[in-house]
Amino acid sequence: MIADLNGSRPARIFVAEDNNADVWLIEEALRRQSLAFQLDHHLTAAEAISAVKECGVGGSPIPDLLLLDYNLPGGQGLEILAAAAANPNLAGVPKAILSSFLRPNELQDAIRMGASCFIPKPANLADFLRDVGTKVVDLLGVNGASQRSAVGTLPR
Amino acid sequence: MSPKHTTSELTLPFPGPTPVKLLAVDDDPHNLVALQAILEPLNQELMLAENGTDALRLCLDHDFAAILLDVRMPVMDGFETAEMIRSRRRSRRTPILFLTAYRSDEQLFRGYDLGAVDFLFKPIVPEVLQSKVRVFVELRRSEELLQRQTEDLKRTERRFRDVLEAAPDAMLITTEDGKIELANSRVDMLFQYSRETLIGQNIRMLIPEWECSMAERVRESLAQAEIRQMGVRRDGTSFPAGITRSPFQASDAVLITTAIRDITSQVDAEARIERTNVELERRVAERTAALSSSNEALRQFAWAASHDLQEPIRTVLAYTQWLSEAVNGHLGKRESGMLSVIEDHASRLNQLLGALRQYIHVSESGQQEWAPVDCNEVAAAAVSTLQTLIQETGASVEWSPLPIVPSIEILLHQLFQNLISNGIKYRSSERTPVIRISSTATKTGWTFSVMDNGIGIDAQYLEYIFGVFRRLHTVELSGTGIGLSICKAAVERLGGRIWVESTPGSGSVFNFALPRDPHRESRTK
Repeated sequence: MIADLNGSRPARIFVAEDNNADVWLIEEALRRQSLAFQLDHHLTAAEAISAVKECGVGGSPIPDLLLLDYNLPGGQGLEILAAAAANPNLAGVPKAILSSFLRPNELQDAIRMGASCFIPKPANLADFLRDVGTKVVDLLGVNGASQRSAVGTLPR
Repeated sequence: MSPKHTTSELTLPFPGPTPVKLLAVDDDPHNLVALQAILEPLNQELMLAENGTDALRLCLDHDFAAILLDVRMPVMDGFETAEMIRSRRRSRRTPILFLTAYRSDEQLFRGYDLGAVDFLFKPIVPEVLQSKVRVFVELRRSEELLQRQTEDLKRTERRFRDVLEAAPDAMLITTEDGKIELANSRVDMLFQYSRETLIGQNIRMLIPEWECSMAERVRESLAQAEIRQMGVRRDGTSFPAGITRSPFQASDAVLITTAIRDITSQVDAEARIERTNVELERRVAERTAALSSSNEALRQFAWAASHDLQEPIRTVLAYTQWLSEAVNGHLGKRESGMLSVIEDHASRLNQLLGALRQYIHVSESGQQEWAPVDCNEVAAAAVSTLQTLIQETGASVEWSPLPIVPSIEILLHQLFQNLISNGIKYRSSERTPVIRISSTATKTGWTFSVMDNGIGIDAQYLEYIFGVFRRLHTVELSGTGIGLSICKAAVERLGGRIWVESTPGSGSVFNFALPRDPHRESRTK
């Protein structure tokens, strides 16, 4: 098991996802990657937006990765992205959009708003666990030093 | 003395020029008889009078070509008679020949003063008298001819005026400058002027824009069509007038006939039609907008519905798989079977929703890039997407060289992929599937054919199969029932059409026609 980042602490993963079933699947995917992680889960967009604004403010922790569901009720996935982009403390943190599918213009909008990449949610369990797991590990740069610089230096 | 005059009829039995009338006046009946005899060969009508009074009376009733007047007569002599004849309007210009026995200058002067044209001295020389009278007969004949011609001319003119009068339009005949020479009564009615006051006026008083330039005449465009100008009535009100002008060469000048029609009702009708058309177009536009917005709303709804259904079913599928993985080996055969039924159906529903989304995407009116697309590359790409299916079934997909067409690549790719996979899916159990793609150039574009050697389609279903969720076979054949709908939507988006020919038991040919100028075709949709 890869214990944690630099052996110091588990990866902090910020998740905005209204479907608990998906959160459990994400956790399972990360577990199967033998990744030490700490999930900061927000069920509603409003909750996620205020949490994103607080990141790094007054010594509060800064996540290593944001996983944002695009299709939150009311189309607020983009608003979370906007709030994250507006917080300078999150400047170097990868922001991944999760969705079962995106229309071409939706992907463009997301990238314009500061999304680093798009992680699809495949319907098959095996595909889901593999795709989400490897993508998150890639983004965290745990398995490849080359990814590290893209993510930025981790605090502490 | 009782008035006594005799008429001698010298007319000929055969038709010829009407005899002219001559009058001989002499108090001596013998002389009259002699004159009658001398003039008989001229074949004219000679009237006789024995005194001036009778002569005057005859002059009241007849026009004579010449009067032979004896100078010496009792009561009223020749000169007095001549004076009286001259004083009457009817006979003022009748030539008078005096007959006299005396050559006296005094008589001659008096006679010429009274308008005599000649003197004849007795004894009369018959040849001289005949030739002189013949001159007057000829003169009268010429006068009569002239008069007849004048009357003909008058009649012709009258007829012309009648025609003008009977014309259905107001007619004005003007000079090139527009000076009115003639007008028919409809002009009075139309413009409220009395015709007399119009003659000599300029037509621009009625039609201010009236024009008749030389250039127009040279172009011969003048008489070609009715033009529209405003007509102005006497009270200053105006009306739309249809005007036709045609020049004609009169004997001394070019005259212009202008026909004028009040086209108020026609113009009103046209305006009504125009208003109706505008209204109709507005309603069509409204309806089209309403329809396209309701279409768009439907599409949005279908998209949202397919998405919202997708999430739960994806979760059901994943969790079923997770559960069956977790309980692997702990369940009986029956329970495992139940789990796999759930999984199969969840998976199928997931597929259906995916296909539905694809259909919506293809038929969506979003902007896509039109570019020249090499169909050979598209066919190769479709085959590579279907690699698994092709390997599993041992199918072969072949194509003869295909054209490069203006198209939207993703739609064309979907089209080829769906038609190829359709051909493989509905394969015959007796044969290895073979799919052949070919194309022919047509007048308006290209026709592509995708031919398979599969089970074929019964004739009654040839239209049915292009509908959404239409399947002819059980789930085991793993069709979503949307593949051909996607093909139809894609072809229609590309401005073309799709149809199928089939022989049940031996295969089907799916054809689609794509236009060479797709933008014009697709815009009409």
